[in-house]
Amino acid sequence: MKDPTPRAMIGRAARAPKAESPGREAWRMFRRNIPAVCGLLILICIVLAVLYGTLFYGGDPFEIVWAPHEPPGVTPEFPLGTDYLGRNILAGLLAGGGPTLAVGAAAAVITMGIGISLGALAGYFGGWVDNLLMRITEFFQVLPALLFAMVLVTLFSPSLWTIAIAIGVVSWPQTARLTRAEFLKIKQLEYVTAARAIGAQDGRIMWTVILPNAAPPLIVSATLTVGVAILFEAGLSFLGLGDPNVMSWGLMIGANRDYILDAWWPVTFPGLAIFLTVFAVSLIGDGLNDAFNPKLRSR
Amino acid sequence: MSLLEIDALKVTFQTRHGAVTALDGVSLTLNAQETLCVVGESGCGKSITALSTMGLIPMPPGRIVGGAIRLNSEDLTKASEARMRALRGAEIAMIFQEPMTSLNPVFTVGDQIAEAILLHQDVTRDAAWNAAVALLDRVGIPSAAERAKAYPHELSGGMRQRVMIAMAVSCRPKVLIADEPTTALDVTVQAQIFDLLNEIQRDFGAAILMITHDMGAVSEMADRVAVMYAGRVIEEGLADDVLDHPRHPYTRGLIGCIPSLDHAGALKEIPGVVPPLHLLGEGCSFAERCDFARQTCRARQPVLRGAAHRVACFGAQEGWA
Repeated sequence: MKDPTPRAMIGRAARAPKAESPGREAWRMFRRNIPAVCGLLILICIVLAVLYGTLFYGGDPFEIVWAPHEPPGVTPEFPLGTDYLGRNILAGLLAGGGPTLAVGAAAAVITMGIGISLGALAGYFGGWVDNLLMRITEFFQVLPALLFAMVLVTLFSPSLWTIAIAIGVVSWPQTARLTRAEFLKIKQLEYVTAARAIGAQDGRIMWTVILPNAAPPLIVSATLTVGVAILFEAGLSFLGLGDPNVMSWGLMIGANRDYILDAWWPVTFPGLAIFLTVFAVSLIGDGLNDAFNPKLRSR
Repeated sequence: MSLLEIDALKVTFQTRHGAVTALDGVSLTLNAQETLCVVGESGCGKSITALSTMGLIPMPPGRIVGGAIRLNSEDLTKASEARMRALRGAEIAMIFQEPMTSLNPVFTVGDQIAEAILLHQDVTRDAAWNAAVALLDRVGIPSAAERAKAYPHELSGGMRQRVMIAMAVSCRPKVLIADEPTTALDVTVQAQIFDLLNEIQRDFGAAILMITHDMGAVSEMADRVAVMYAGRVIEEGLADDVLDHPRHPYTRGLIGCIPSLDHAGALKEIPGVVPPLHLLGEGCSFAERCDFARQTCRARQPVLRGAAHRVACFGAQEGWA
């Protein structure tokens, strides 16, 4: 008998496909995205290098170890050469990566924290709350971000924390707007009314009903914010506003920029490190964006 | 003493045409364990009635300007938001029209039912989960323990509506409001859901306030029927009386719209549409569409009159329509 019997067909239909949580489905989509996976691998390599690299190589990155402006590839001991004071550039890269990534991550957390809280309150409650919070958001949006961050860093003594906070304080408005838009959209959906109909309170509806459904674009935004924050930190350090006691990629560029015409390598290698990191983070962000986009899922 | 009394409820909405009256003195009573069907066309105020009872009309733009909603003699229009939260889900629960969109897509259905239980009962998460599985089993979901771990998108429309019903009855509410619970479902599934609602009502002892525009649903479910038109109740009575001997020309029109296998020929229709609420005039709001309308109908608003089977129509009251 070729055709399956009706009973067999019923049996087959009744067996539900294995439950796949939205998170797992997104990961399955992400894995198929080759550039995004490359970005993830690059980022993992960078993180491992800055976490464990100093155990095997380097030492104090501020220590003067050789003649200044030794070009890369000449002395095997210092494969990337030395800077204007004779400090080891590879040691600086390995030691400076940690603070750079940490500031980027911390700034992204602060950005998302402020942005999501205010955006959620504005979008959910609407009315005067929305008006007030959005005017505040606009106030922060019209300030030139870099100048504002410079003011904040100079007001308080520059340290990794103040830099991270300064970056967070100037970059949350976009996240707030994105969160607000998502909340405005989702709060009208029937399952939010249904949650209210079973007696859930506002806080619960905001954080356990709406926020998880708003998560995909926010996760993408958070990832990209890490990249932006790393660039921001580099920019501040380049302008001489970084923490002078902590090695970071931005500080290396900033310290060596005056001699860029005499020696290209002290600024190029930290620059490449920043570029690679931000590039990897952006690839991951794009990959997450595609993974969470239902329109691209069936492909 | 009825379980739920909606008394001369008046609800307005602020629109760009000014404040329009969505409900104009709606009075309904729901007795314990009975089913009251509220019928009418789109835009006649059925859903606003349901949402007002739940305290879920968006304010602003909505506003309850008069009347009362009494649940066990407690006026819900004056209850605090905290009090309403405690009542919602526990004493009055609601089933929505669209099972496809009324479940949260990122949580499993078991989690969502357990959540409803945890909101009102002091039990452990495990106990709530077990209760959720038992409820899913009760509403006829096969292999409930497995399906409790499914996400809403993995279930069919009928299954999701069963989940919604399980969630609504999870705390054994006394009043269950069903807002067109079968409109989005296949006809065969509709019949199953009606059967389920009838069973649930018998087992859980809930009174059901069902909003519908489907006269077939009324004959399946209703003990009593209230017909609404343009924000007012225009006829009310026992289901058999209203269905077999409709008195208001509008109700007769609605019943004339039911397709029947016995009678060939074109379906009757009611000419025109429900007038926009901001354009309602002095007289009977149905006068413009009514074959029997006379001078009086356009001059004055008829009021609901009668003993058991009440109607708001001069013609029906005086015997000329």
